Amino acid sequence: MDLTFSAAEEAFRADLRGWLADNLPSAWREPGFWATVPDAEAFELRREWERRKFDAGFAGIDWPTEFGGRGGTPGMKAIYDEEMAHARAPSTVNSLGLAFLAPTIMAIGSEEQKREIIRPLLRCDVIWCQGFSEPDAGSDLAALRASGVADGEDIVVNGQKVWTTNAIHADRIFALVRTEPGSQRHRGISMLLIDMHQDGVEARPLRQMSGATEFGEVFFTNARVPATECLGGLGNGWATAMLLLSFERGASGILQYTSFRRAYDEIVRAARVLGRDQEPVLRQELAQRLVELECLRYHAMHVLTRVEQGADLGSESSMTKLQWSETYQDLFETFDNLLGSDIAIGSPVAGLDLTALQAEGFWSRSVTIWGGSSQVQRNIVAERVLGLPR
Amino acid sequence: MFFALTDEQRALGDTVRDFLADRFDLTAVRAVFEDAAGDGHPTELWKAVGEQGWLAVCVPEEYDGLGLGILDAHVVARALGAGVVPGPWLSTVLAGEAVRLAGSEAQRAELLPRIAAGDLAATVALRGAGRGWGADGVTVSAAPVAGEPAGEAGSAVGALTGAASPVEYLAVAGLVVVAATEPGTAAGAAETGAGSAAGSAGIGLYLVDPQAAGVTVEPLTSYDGTTRLAALKLEGAHARRLPGSSAAVLEDLVRRGAVLTSADLAGIAREALTRTVRYDQERIQFGRPVGSFQALKHHLADLHVAVTMAEHAAMYAAYAIDAELDDLLLAVAVAKAKASQAARDATAAMIQYHGGIGYTWEHETHFFYKRARRLYGAFGDPPSHLERVAALTIDTVAAPDSAAAAV
Repeated sequence: MDLTFSAAEEAFRADLRGWLADNLPSAWREPGFWATVPDAEAFELRREWERRKFDAGFAGIDWPTEFGGRGGTPGMKAIYDEEMAHARAPSTVNSLGLAFLAPTIMAIGSEEQKREIIRPLLRCDVIWCQGFSEPDAGSDLAALRASGVADGEDIVVNGQKVWTTNAIHADRIFALVRTEPGSQRHRGISMLLIDMHQDGVEARPLRQMSGATEFGEVFFTNARVPATECLGGLGNGWATAMLLLSFERGASGILQYTSFRRAYDEIVRAARVLGRDQEPVLRQELAQRLVELECLRYHAMHVLTRVEQGADLGSESSMTKLQWSETYQDLFETFDNLLGSDIAIGSPVAGLDLTALQAEGFWSRSVTIWGGSSQVQRNIVAERVLGLPR
Repeated sequence: MFFALTDEQRALGDTVRDFLADRFDLTAVRAVFEDAAGDGHPTELWKAVGEQGWLAVCVPEEYDGLGLGILDAHVVARALGAGVVPGPWLSTVLAGEAVRLAGSEAQRAELLPRIAAGDLAATVALRGAGRGWGADGVTVSAAPVAGEPAGEAGSAVGALTGAASPVEYLAVAGLVVVAATEPGTAAGAAETGAGSAAGSAGIGLYLVDPQAAGVTVEPLTSYDGTTRLAALKLEGAHARRLPGSSAAVLEDLVRRGAVLTSADLAGIAREALTRTVRYDQERIQFGRPVGSFQALKHHLADLHVAVTMAEHAAMYAAYAIDAELDDLLLAVAVAKAKASQAARDATAAMIQYHGGIGYTWEHETHFFYKRARRLYGAFGDPPSHLERVAALTIDTVAAPDSAAAAV
């Protein structure tokens, strides 16, 4: 065991902390700040923030320098995640592009795609969204029906995507489209890189139960995309998608730990103000949440170790997702137990503004659905890790 | 960052597991389990344990030990838990840790080489029946013995009176480390530099010979046949004091016990889960393996996550002790709470997902379930560790000034 970071990694942490102290607006660090800013304005503030990070060398921490990254270690990426959460810096507005599309292009993209897509993505000059889910193809992604038909040099796309994060802000969409008419399930699908700024593409916001509109739906009506704007080859979209989703597996959970641990401390402060922090039953429940959070931290160190060793985490990443998402949801159920009869009050309770925690509580209902629902993750663990029969 | 076992540590665990598979499998466990009148201490196994060096792990090299740490011992504990192995390994290791941490040079030289070699089975008696773990739970008191010099570099002698229970393997132990209160010696604890937080009474650790006058061993029946339990009664029994002992050393010892128990529990839980998965891959009902039903799959997947977290937590807590990490107290409480729960859940699922056969005496499920159930309470049950977690993470969070003022 050695739970320390290298001298170079700690030097990176010091640099990053110093830069954040100088550059992150203090108002942004206040809980609830982002709830006071209209969505569109918030998006632009965050987009500009990403550009400043890029220009200062704090983007693509573990990406090769040839793609505009910093060329750092997995440890530096973990430190970056931790420090950003500590500082309450906003999360990226290009998350799906950063986490999924860029690494896939680095792995299998053409030289031209590498050159033209990655750097603008990293600098948030081009915002990407992901077009996978459809109304009738959620967990069962292979049931997707969006169609693409060749027409000269182009492919003409029709269909609908849904649960699309950042749909209304995105410039481009990487979408799974059935380009072989009549093909079934995993065959005949292509991953197309479609320009959203055209008449054939309409993005509509989708209001979530939390009241926010991070998601949207995207309608394709004779949208056109050059056949060259395909990632991984025509008809090879399923394999490309599986490769793309595998890049989630480098995520250790340290970002979630840092941010959830802060939520825990805020819930504890609320318990104190409400005069309930010495109640034995609530203490037991809070402590149980903390036990699971600390286990997540140990697990994140385990995952980071495996990544540094170059291991393919494979299906093990389903365990990471289950641990953080279920723990997060449980934490906010404990928050509900703390509020008791005041649970439904949106106005301050005992002089305490709880809107940010309440919003997180509603958000927590989504984390066990997106990115592979808990039920899908349990199937993966049961079948591919434990070896139980299908 | 290296959150993993070294190749040497992995090899140590493999050696224990391979040995048990060859020489002490569940048939051998059953023989001990069902021989309730026996001492639960198979001599062939113990001889091998000594020869293999599993008792020497934490003993310094100068006393013929391996000079390793609790992290290495946790690897052995996990493998012994997986094998539901009987015998006084844990109790002897903890007695050795007491001697190593608080003994005089002469006491270490006398006892540690014998412990390391397996020549001396030992145990610890740290709490009274129904009491907590730590200074508050001690129900033995020590009185000075007339004519014996006290507080010198060598060991003083005390007369011990009181009781401790349950004590593991008391009947076969050649040595018992007993915790006793020492009225009016709080200053004595401070002298050791250990900074006792235990209140007014100091705590001493004493070396008790079970054969000495004033010592009574009362066997207790145990549902878990992979150990033997007894109550220790002391009526003025003379015992040598470990001169470095204090309430802080007692709490350190309890933490070591809690972490090694967590490792044992993690081993039990993993083995219970593995055996259950194997059975449910083969067991056919409704024309298909029962393990193909999602009702089982999803629960088993959740258990895999829980058991993995328990393994991480036990490993982290063991390292936290060795490296004296800042969050050591939290880490131990997290590990013991998590491992206890994971082992209970995994062994309960082992019974459930074996169906009727899993509820029979003939099947091995109950070895795992009963051992996990005993260890659930050993060195603190989950509620007590959760309260420790609460004290460390709720009572230490700063109150919000402005909001508090508004109330």
